[in-house]
Amino acid sequence: MDSRRDRRYFSKKKVCRFCTEPIEMDYKNVDLLSRFITDRKKIVPRRNSGLCAYHQRQLATTIKRSRFMALLPYTVLH
Amino acid sequence: MAVTPNYYETLYVTRPDLSDEDLAKIQQKLLDSISSNQGEVIRDDKWAERDLAYEIQDHKRGIYYILVFHAMPEASKQVEKHLQFYNTDILRFMTLKITEEAANKNKATQEETTPKTEPAAAPPNPEPTPTVSATEPAAETAEEATGAPEEGGAQ
Repeated sequence: MDSRRDRRYFSKKKVCRFCTEPIEMDYKNVDLLSRFITDRKKIVPRRNSGLCAYHQRQLATTIKRSRFMALLPYTVLH
Repeated sequence: MAVTPNYYETLYVTRPDLSDEDLAKIQQKLLDSISSNQGEVIRDDKWAERDLAYEIQDHKRGIYYILVFHAMPEASKQVEKHLQFYNTDILRFMTLKITEEAANKNKATQEETTPKTEPAAAPPNPEPTPTVSATEPAAETAEEATGAPEEGGAQ
């Protein structure tokens, strides 16, 4: 049973991009951050972004800074 | 514990229709408050002019300026106080404490950009500059195709 379930939900193991690539999280880097927000401008959850806990926390802070500076929107309703 | 100087980065957004004199006046106040606290300005630049993600005080566009400095905490407080005082001209501002490496990177980028303007000012350059057309077609499109997950095996 278990093995079949495993097979059905198999997906490639994601590795945190910020751990593997030499990219820095910066609230001014809008192009990078906009890849981590959904169509409705919400922050992408960890299960979709594939980031590690540390970098997901950093990402959330960085996106919020970016939003405050009007570089990224809070919602689509503006 | 003794208070030590830190590296700070301030990003502020001005109204797009702010006159040069008013801007210069504000910027001079910022620089003064840094220098009066034995601070050192590492970068003082216009960062970008862009559309705001949402309207602020009915403005749809803003001009972003960046200020990186090394000073005592008192200086950053004064900088923020000045920016707050001009809150009709300054739409948003944010000061962050940054690491020394991040601050020095700013210094490096500014040095990179300044020589670019100097050769343009120097006229005697008879050598025809060979235009290297290194336009490589983006080989990233293949990457995106391999993302489709397989779902619904046996139902």
